[in-house]
Amino acid sequence: VTEALRSHDELLAMAEDILRRAPGGAEAEVTVTETATALTRFANGGIHQSVADRSLRLRLRLVCDGRSGVAEIQTTADEAAQRLVDTAESIRSRSPEGDPVHPIHPDGGPDSEIGYSPVTEAVTPEQRADAVAAVCIAADAAGQQAFGTYETTATSMAMMSTLGLSRAARHSVGELIAVCRGDDGSAYGARHAVDASSIDVAGLASEVTERCARNQGATAVDPGTYEVVLSPYAVAEMLEYLGLVGLGGLAVLEHRSFMRFGERLMSEAVTITDDVTRSELAPLPFDGEGATTKPVTIIDRGICAAVVHDSVTAARSGVPTTGHSFPQPNSEGPLPRYLCLASGESDPASMIAACARGLLVTRFWYVRPVHPLQTIITGMTRDGTFLIENGRVARPVRDLRFTQSIVDALCDIRALGSQRLASRGYFGACLAPWVHLGHFTFSS
Amino acid sequence: MRDIANDLLDAAQVAGAQYVDCRVVERTTQSVTIKNGRVNNVSQFEDAGVGVRVIVDGAWGFAGTQRADGPGLEAAARLAVRIAKASARTAIAPVRLAPAPAVTAQYVTPVRIDPFSVSLDRKIELLLAADAAMDVAGVTTRQGSLGAVRHHQLFASSEGSRIEQTIVETGGGLDATATGDGEVQSRSFPNSFGRQQLTAGWEVIEEMDLAGNGRRIADEAVALLSADLCPQGRMTLILDATQAALQVHESCGHPTELDRVLGFEAAYAGTSFLMPDMLGKFRYGSEAVTISADATSPRGLGTFAYDDEGVAAQRTLLIDQGLFTGYLTSRETAARFDEPSGGTVRAESWNRLPLIRMTNINLEPGVSSVEEMIATTERGVYLETNRSWSIDDRRLNFQFGTQIGWEIRDGRRVKLVRNPLYSGSTPEFWNSCDAVAGPSEWHMYGVINCGKGQPGQVMHVGHGAAPCRFRNVAVRPA
Repeated sequence: VTEALRSHDELLAMAEDILRRAPGGAEAEVTVTETATALTRFANGGIHQSVADRSLRLRLRLVCDGRSGVAEIQTTADEAAQRLVDTAESIRSRSPEGDPVHPIHPDGGPDSEIGYSPVTEAVTPEQRADAVAAVCIAADAAGQQAFGTYETTATSMAMMSTLGLSRAARHSVGELIAVCRGDDGSAYGARHAVDASSIDVAGLASEVTERCARNQGATAVDPGTYEVVLSPYAVAEMLEYLGLVGLGGLAVLEHRSFMRFGERLMSEAVTITDDVTRSELAPLPFDGEGATTKPVTIIDRGICAAVVHDSVTAARSGVPTTGHSFPQPNSEGPLPRYLCLASGESDPASMIAACARGLLVTRFWYVRPVHPLQTIITGMTRDGTFLIENGRVARPVRDLRFTQSIVDALCDIRALGSQRLASRGYFGACLAPWVHLGHFTFSS
Repeated sequence: MRDIANDLLDAAQVAGAQYVDCRVVERTTQSVTIKNGRVNNVSQFEDAGVGVRVIVDGAWGFAGTQRADGPGLEAAARLAVRIAKASARTAIAPVRLAPAPAVTAQYVTPVRIDPFSVSLDRKIELLLAADAAMDVAGVTTRQGSLGAVRHHQLFASSEGSRIEQTIVETGGGLDATATGDGEVQSRSFPNSFGRQQLTAGWEVIEEMDLAGNGRRIADEAVALLSADLCPQGRMTLILDATQAALQVHESCGHPTELDRVLGFEAAYAGTSFLMPDMLGKFRYGSEAVTISADATSPRGLGTFAYDDEGVAAQRTLLIDQGLFTGYLTSRETAARFDEPSGGTVRAESWNRLPLIRMTNINLEPGVSSVEEMIATTERGVYLETNRSWSIDDRRLNFQFGTQIGWEIRDGRRVKLVRNPLYSGSTPEFWNSCDAVAGPSEWHMYGVINCGKGQPGQVMHVGHGAAPCRFRNVAVRPA
């Protein structure tokens, strides 16, 4: 429907052109990113918004004489390269001397593209509309209305520096989200894939309409502490927040992290990794500094093993970078991008059957940290919360607010599902199974 | 800009658009941050592009492009039209727009000192002075930031509007974090989320007195490490103006967005408990509570002359002495109720579709004062500066945490308390409001992280607010 993303050679040539213009003697790092996004939104059983855009972003970091300057330009204008250099140098030369973050030397890592499919980039507005129509028709047949989005994104990124860095990679994501609403209740489901054509539209529609049919006429249940069976959507949200509050190297250095290396803080059933090798997470092979992203075992059978690093936190911690940097310099520090919770041997039906009294949660919503050091978060359940009694789903219940320590919850794992679902993360993606937890506190 | 807009409008109409508007945007953002006495980052981001929105066969299509040449504009126009035609196959009802007069106008944010004209030396010097003030024993992380935005835009429509606006924003802020004994405590000034920002010039920063407040927040962060936990129970709650502003944002601003009410955001941001049949009848709050949507408020981040549909800035009462009286609307949503648009449609950038967004959602000042509220409270807490926030998808069930609190006993602040949380249900909460401070304690605040829409858009919105008091609220420590 539109031109394909520029090739790696074209992006690297643009980066090289910028480097050539950089002032002599300066360390320079260039990042060129091109993104094509298309998204169709539907509500009340029909499409109400549909958009597409393409953007090219150039970023230059200059370091020289203890001074650093960064400029970014999002434009295709002819003069962009020179203006980028002029702006970065103007900022650099007017900045005070200090101890700036330097670009890194290339580490020789591979630029494998395990998370890219040209099919996703080529999805047309008509194909998006057809997929949406299939969901809307399924919902209508069930006496429900469909809401949601079908989005395709393809990103191509190249980095080059005066220290010899030269690498490029692409990734792509297709995501179909569906919410169905009946007269008195709603349900949620989502699919996330590198190749958008592999999304099982009918399967998702079936999952959501069936859940919606069960989630009608919810009644209240008292707040309190319950066993919970969490869907992968809810588990992924919890993992992402664990990453935000405590799994980055800067959080450890600034004493904001719960991690105590070598200590068992969670159930032995819990192994959490940041796994760039999982193709279904649409990973990019390098980070915002051009460092190769490496798989990291963060929690090893309940024991705090490691956190992710960028070059700055790695140097301060005396370890190699794991390749989890945002563009430097930054004040956020490194964060996980591809969190995975190891699977178990169970399934949702067995978890429900093993639960005497608890809650089945489809999705968390508006999650925020309350006490980051204690990993306490709050949020709401949404789009499908059910009471489990005597090993079966008894009835839908009204949404509840939870306030709960993630680490505390992960101490009491009753079962983990054998199947895992990929979903979008805050900075990448997440892979999570169904989880049965022994206790979880709902505060209102 | 005008040539680009005219070419794009022509190309879209040739491609089959029955209605078309476009925004030609140039945006420059400058950021200076310091951390622990060192310059962390000095950066500038320049963004330019064009967004074109069309109606074909009763359906919307939108495309964004950075190409301003003829073939690039034609391709964007054709893509928008193609998207609209594809959408029309699965649309529910044809889009109808409330009428809006064609306008030719220009607007520039009133600025005394252009923030881009102030030297980097001056900015860094100011931040380093504030950083030094925060350098007290026990503080482990000190951060400061200054930001400036210049957003230059031409809006043009096939109905004849040509509106050129330049919006200038300036902001700054400090954070001090202390750690120890299993606690991490942060204090921010003037507001959380990194900085306080307004549509104004460098004068905003000069008025802040960052250095003068650095020591205070650093001392407070350290003191919080050993403070008692916030008391638990139902009690009187007094909020400072910054937390009142966020309370308004979450529990009044979002639920009065008419697109949420109509289900447009049901799969993502959520819906609303404020249904149209409640207009003019539903008692949202006590008589002390009047909340307006005012895009004309001086210095607000939602202040402009025309919105991104070319509709003039307005002041609308959302809550009038406690009664629910209005919504934030667009031309499309207002037309469903045969009303004119409230002029609250905005887009984050050239490559995002304009949506209903908050302008300046203001809690109108009352007649009380913080000191009077405290003096007339037997048992309660006074809370300042947001730390955590969460609310359900219908905007009823909320829980907020603040950075700092003071317990009140018999009309006096008796001690500092840490990790305060309060929770409630929106109408019950606002109906328990019995006092709002007067104009001398009313200030405009900026929220620079308001998320909505898919693809996601982060909007800058304003809130005028004053300290206010609520009775019988559930309060507890985290």
